[in-house]
Amino acid sequence: MLKVGERAAAFSLKDHLGREISLQTFHNKRHVMLLFYPLDWTPT
Amino acid sequence: MEGLLPRFRAAHTQVLGVSVDSVYCHANWARDLGGISFPLLADFEPKGGLGKAFGYYLDKGGIDDRATVIIDSGGTVRHTSTVTPDGRRKIAELVDLCDSLDRESTTRVKEIPAPAGLPRESILYFKSRCGFSRATLIARDNLHLQDDLAAKNVTRDAQARTDLVRLTGIDQAPCLVLEGKPIHESPEIIRRLVNAATDLTA
Repeated sequence: MLKVGERAAAFSLKDHLGREISLQTFHNKRHVMLLFYPLDWTPT
Repeated sequence: MEGLLPRFRAAHTQVLGVSVDSVYCHANWARDLGGISFPLLADFEPKGGLGKAFGYYLDKGGIDDRATVIIDSGGTVRHTSTVTPDGRRKIAELVDLCDSLDRESTTRVKEIPAPAGLPRESILYFKSRCGFSRATLIARDNLHLQDDLAAKNVTRDAQARTDLVRLTGIDQAPCLVLEGKPIHESPEIIRRLVNAATDLTA
């Protein structure tokens, strides 16, 4: 499991509108919060 | 979650949902939710690839755990937590955490202007039983543009069809009309809608 202080793995995934999203997409934000969840139709 | 997005935005934090569902599945769920203003990432191919990279993929069940990771702009992990798949995340606590991380951060960021929205009297013409039309309607719903963007069915509404032909010379749909100018390609229509509704350009 990744720990605080470690470097996050780079990724590039498509979102629900088909956009390619990576951490670099948000260069104008200070933080990115990833909400992993088991399946759609469950609370995020 | 949607209600707290302005606070995450004010804290210069981008929220992303991640599950092993496909883009198509996410699009439909987002529509069922009545629209969603933050990206839902498809951790679908390879299945759970991002979950595995962070250590949150659960082999039993083949799903990602209900886990939260906050990464700073330098790519360093600043927070991790999990509430197990059946648990409920405490979003209010997370927004407070993002606030405090934002206050500690020395990273300079440009203040992002609010999304511009769509010009008045924008119209989306669509056809029944047309996949391209459906894709544009899903985007309209997902981006909460129902109030700003009239949608007219040219298969059922003869007047709408007449208007579309008068405007564009052809009854081809989907067609997005922005300031009197028609756009026919569905990926371009969706791109325009995304750019109007979010601060994340497509």
